[in-house]
Amino acid sequence: MSVIIEVKDLHKTYKTPFSRKLVHAVQGITFEVRKGEAFGFLGPNGAGKTTTIRMLMGLIKPTKGSATLFGLPVGERLATSKLGFLPEAPYFYDYLSVTELLDLAGRLFGMSSKDRRKKGEELIDLVGLRHAAKSPLKSYSKGMMQRAGIAQALINDPELVVFDEPMSGLDPIGRKEVRDIIQSLKSQGKTIFFCSHILADVESLAERVAIVAKGKVRKTGRLDELLASEKKHQRVEVRCENEEKSKDLAQKLTDQKGEVHGAKVVFQLDDTQDLVGLIKHATDEGATLTSVTKQNRDLESVFMEVVGGVS
Amino acid sequence: MFGRIYALALNTFRDAIRKKILYAIVVMVLGWNLFATVLGAMSWNEEARVARDMGLFGVSAFGSFTAIILGVMLLYTEVQKRTIHTLISKPLARFEFVLGKYLGMVMTLTLLVGLFVLTLAGLLTIQDIPFTSTVAKAALLGYFEVLVVAAIAVFFSSFSSPFLSGVFALGLFLLGRLTPEMRAATEHAEPWVAKCATWALRVVPDLHLFSVSGGTVDGQVVSVHGDHFVNWGYVWTSMGYGAVVIVALLLLAILAFSKRDFV
Repeated sequence: MSVIIEVKDLHKTYKTPFSRKLVHAVQGITFEVRKGEAFGFLGPNGAGKTTTIRMLMGLIKPTKGSATLFGLPVGERLATSKLGFLPEAPYFYDYLSVTELLDLAGRLFGMSSKDRRKKGEELIDLVGLRHAAKSPLKSYSKGMMQRAGIAQALINDPELVVFDEPMSGLDPIGRKEVRDIIQSLKSQGKTIFFCSHILADVESLAERVAIVAKGKVRKTGRLDELLASEKKHQRVEVRCENEEKSKDLAQKLTDQKGEVHGAKVVFQLDDTQDLVGLIKHATDEGATLTSVTKQNRDLESVFMEVVGGVS
Repeated sequence: MFGRIYALALNTFRDAIRKKILYAIVVMVLGWNLFATVLGAMSWNEEARVARDMGLFGVSAFGSFTAIILGVMLLYTEVQKRTIHTLISKPLARFEFVLGKYLGMVMTLTLLVGLFVLTLAGLLTIQDIPFTSTVAKAALLGYFEVLVVAAIAVFFSSFSSPFLSGVFALGLFLLGRLTPEMRAATEHAEPWVAKCATWALRVVPDLHLFSVSGGTVDGQVVSVHGDHFVNWGYVWTSMGYGAVVIVALLLLAILAFSKRDFV
């Protein structure tokens, strides 16, 4: 599978305006995104996600390291002509309508007037802005602006689409709409690189992820592998006659660290712990088994573990 | 390349003509010309002189003022509002961006100065004063001065805030108008002043070339009111000089702009 984005040891260091203090925003990020995959770039605020994306888009020059798009250095016309970009909290010329915005974007890609009109109309329908196609962007809500941003990013039918926080600030309906658009782009075989801190969205969209914290990639891999590599957990719930007995049981099984909730005791076990032994012990003590639930680790727990370990 | 520059220029023009300050300037120019009419009526057989002087001053001063106001905001606003993020990530080189923005400004200033000159022509016609080739030459020189001032403002805007760019551009405009005085200072002033003037003459664009009425050219006094004014050769040469200054300033602006990070 060919590599669409290749980032090697990327660094960005800023100097603060007055004190000239050095701020290391990105400290040696390395990853690659392959053709046709949806790659999630995750990290807490200030991790260096947006700085990395801006370096990839040619908006910021790296202090050290290299980045290529389609095997070409960032900023090469051949690469940017196959690229669509939605920045974080996009802002456009607010006196333009979405139709005019798409026309301007199309002109910058050197599209003919006929193609601009055709593609523009298509995209306005895709992002659901038909009702406001002629209204100035200043009258748009945040969600509408985001959709206009997606439309302008797709005007050239790009092979690679880069979204910086595409779901940020959207309500649940807006998030779903954007997610659906990204899903449809995925099904068209486009390469998608997006950063987000809404982990549920990343989990539903990305095939591979890189988790970034404090300017460095802390973990990279296929999402299913990352989740599978984590220890599986089981939640065991038993009920005792009363709170006193449940406290006694929790005390006797100190290794399992049971949590007492009234007459109920909840145990969280991983693969290394003896599930059958625990159930036997609890029932011998007079407790009734209420439930055993297998709990798969989600991206949030992986993320928290990686990011928590750094901070 | 030209398509992209044109697209950006057209958009810049559309943006500029929406600015309320532009309409305020147009109203000021109309008021200025009305004031010139009243002043002309109050003068003793000097209606033509007053109308020409005030009209041409309007072209040069209001045009340059507009160029500074629009120019200092031109690149800064794009970076500040982050509209540049979606543009630079497209196949648009940074030099195309600067050129597109400047050309959009040229379109706006051409419209404005055209309006000022039309107002001047209207004012002269009402008073039965002919719009002669002398006035046309002076207006054309004034227009080119405005374009040079716009390039000065764009240059400062490529690396500085609007306030500082405005101060620098205005300062350079005033110094540019004082080149004859600076030349005189190199010969007659105190040595340190002469040194400063010599240095300043090397870097300051000679804007006096575009506002020559009342001065001397080749030892002869030239005036839009008198029998002798500059010939077309002088106008073309001055415009050529202006074009060189504009190109140099835009190259410097492109250089500064291409080194910037758009955070």
